[in-house]
Amino acid sequence: MDIIGQFPLFYFPEYGSAWMMGVTGTIHILASHTSVGAAMLFAFLAYKAYKEDRTDLYPYMKKYGMFLLIFSYVIGSITGPGIWYTATAASPRGISALIHNFVWVWATEWVFFVYEVIGVFALVYFMNKIDKKTHLKLTFTFALASVGTLALIIGIISFMMWPGTEAYYTTGSASDAFFGTNTFPHMFLRIGFMIMMSGVIGLVISSAMRKENEALSNELSRKMGFVSLLGGFVTMFFFMWYMGTLPDNAHAVFNITKESIIQNRIILAILFSLYFLIAIIKPKVINVPIASAMIAVILIAGLWPGEKLRESMRKPYVAGQYIYSNQIISRDVPGKGIKSELPIIAEKGLLQVNPFVPENLKVITADNKLEAGKLLARMSCSNCHSLETTGKFRPLKERLTGMDKEAIKSILYAIGAGGMSYMPSLKLPEHEYDALAEYLASQKY
Amino acid sequence: MDASVLLALRDPAGIPFYPVVFQALYILTWALHAAFVLLALGSMGLSLYGTFKQKDDQRWKILTPHLIQTGKISVSLLIVLGVAPLLFTQVIYDPNWYTTNALSGMWIFIFIYALVVGYMMFYWFYYANKAKDGGGKMIGMISFAILVFAGILMHNFAVTSIMPNEWMNMYAPNGVVDNSGWTFNIDIIRLAFMVSLSLPVVGIFLQNYSRFVSTREDFSKDLIDYTASFGTRIASIGLLISAVLFVLWMYTIGYLMHPVIIATIAGVLVLLFMVMTNKNSYITTGVLVVVALLISGVRELIRYDLMMGLGYNIYDYPVNFEIPSITMFLLTFLIMGGVGVAYLLTMAWKVGKSQGIFDGSKDKAVNTLGNYTLGIMSLWMVVFFGWGMTILFSNIL
Repeated sequence: MDIIGQFPLFYFPEYGSAWMMGVTGTIHILASHTSVGAAMLFAFLAYKAYKEDRTDLYPYMKKYGMFLLIFSYVIGSITGPGIWYTATAASPRGISALIHNFVWVWATEWVFFVYEVIGVFALVYFMNKIDKKTHLKLTFTFALASVGTLALIIGIISFMMWPGTEAYYTTGSASDAFFGTNTFPHMFLRIGFMIMMSGVIGLVISSAMRKENEALSNELSRKMGFVSLLGGFVTMFFFMWYMGTLPDNAHAVFNITKESIIQNRIILAILFSLYFLIAIIKPKVINVPIASAMIAVILIAGLWPGEKLRESMRKPYVAGQYIYSNQIISRDVPGKGIKSELPIIAEKGLLQVNPFVPENLKVITADNKLEAGKLLARMSCSNCHSLETTGKFRPLKERLTGMDKEAIKSILYAIGAGGMSYMPSLKLPEHEYDALAEYLASQKY
Repeated sequence: MDASVLLALRDPAGIPFYPVVFQALYILTWALHAAFVLLALGSMGLSLYGTFKQKDDQRWKILTPHLIQTGKISVSLLIVLGVAPLLFTQVIYDPNWYTTNALSGMWIFIFIYALVVGYMMFYWFYYANKAKDGGGKMIGMISFAILVFAGILMHNFAVTSIMPNEWMNMYAPNGVVDNSGWTFNIDIIRLAFMVSLSLPVVGIFLQNYSRFVSTREDFSKDLIDYTASFGTRIASIGLLISAVLFVLWMYTIGYLMHPVIIATIAGVLVLLFMVMTNKNSYITTGVLVVVALLISGVRELIRYDLMMGLGYNIYDYPVNFEIPSITMFLLTFLIMGGVGVAYLLTMAWKVGKSQGIFDGSKDKAVNTLGNYTLGIMSLWMVVFFGWGMTILFSNIL
């Protein structure tokens, strides 16, 4: 039987299903990066407190730790698997590819994760119950475990962009897939951001302590300013290196909105440099509302567009440059015995090879043509574009405004022939092109 | 569902090791995850009961915040421990897992945020109760209800995943495709059995609590005796309810006389005897772990048989061996995980047993385990970077 392993399709009206992953991913990045950054900051503070016998630093660590437990470990530990869940619903074959290549890497990360979760409770709740030396050792292992989780996830998310070299396709080896050219720049870019986030969150806590102990609050705010500046610099430095390790299709997408992205990043860099400098020079100016608002700015103006961009730059792929966003395997991977599904789709059509297409839509007739076209549009386009005339997420209406069936068909032909590097080279049989174009034209975008 | 479709839904990359290993890891880690799900459910439920009693009853004044804390930590642990079975199930049962997720996409999204909101509200409950005895009742109840709802959603995913013959009807009833992701299925007896297990789990926890604090001078004998007898009562009644529901569940699906089921029932009876006599609750806990593994095995047996009947045999999943990464996992799991978790648990045990500050630097076990954990983690980092640089250099030079 000529079928390919495609799953049922989940589609969220007006937005598509990919945005769910984006929202969950953005929240997770804020929480998880804060937690790893804070783990490193804790090690630094605990070392300072132990070496200089600064008992006054422990209440700060305790307050920070409680905030971390609620903010990072509740939100971070749920949205982490949450990305997995939502990605599975939106992009089952993409996540399956990652799981089947990296299951042992993920299982290893899980070991660190277990240590981290038990460790954070020990770190916070035993602060006043164990001696300082043991506490210091605990903070060191906690920091290493936290960085370990980053080290193990980074190769997987880098592989989503691309494996970096051709080796993986030949060997099928997880090592070749994991350690691509952009894995390490990506890792240090994120470490920089984590350091910066630990300072940004630290400023909320230190400014909240002003009433209790103004001198300590100012000292810690200054320190957080320095920490954040250092983190910001590391982020910017490795961002340059990271961009240089991306594939051509990523640059093609990046170039479309390059100027506005660079402008946005420059504004953010200036704004946050000033903020951190104020924390260093005039720490009294920073209060809880300002410090909290800056977190919101990072989330809305930094992370959300950044994650959207990273997702766009992967296009047309979703993992390893062999699976398209619309869940079709687009190239052979001899090392794993994987075959491209494009030839069989071009020959038989998507409706025939997808096992979840109901019998009444397998063969296109005059009666079911629009219905079949609608299903084809959802199967081929909806992972990246909302289809409704009122669609919000990369809507087709903006791309197909005023076009008739023939004009739409010519675009579909061009895409199928590989004419757009960021679109999947999905070639369909003529009758499916026809039904798809007829449906899209009927929407009168 | 046709066998050829199920087989086509397997990932073309194959799996990186023998399927039976993933199956075994699934059974093991699901049991661990379930243990904390049940402890969270039991301790949270009991802590809510405690908020009504803690104003007037000195014992519940102490016990309630401890139960809230237990519930709070258990939720964290159930989440982290739940990641592992989630991982292993989609390696060998990917057709089931991914189809379910796509069919229930909206519920998936709601599940995540229900968990976030429910858990954050539980922290709110914790602080409200800390501020005032009996405080935060309403918040606690809402939080508990939301978390139970999240549990029911997870039950839906598990049930839908073992209904392959119905998938097509769920996705395209009468030939009309439904992409909405609102598929919801429930198996009342199975769910009731799983929920009922929270009673014996929290009962045995109370026996352990009583035993653990019995060496502490700052805990009254009254409290120690009360928690032991209360725990025995809850666990005994709970085990009887669970046993009836289990027999009913097995009877309805025709598994009652299966050797694994008989072994599970025998395990429950042994557990009941040990709970009622309460000679050493730590050993009872060991037997509970065995019963949890058996229940996890029963779930897997049902799924395995069902899929085999449809022509999907997990043992025939194509294998593409992946030696370096499994080596990394095994070494990390056994050495770093073993030593690291032993370090944290030893420390937690000794802190719990101490009044005042516990000096770990003078405790041989804690000190040695700490040094080893730190050393192993540092070495791990060196190996990671060394491995990565070797691979990268050989691929780009």
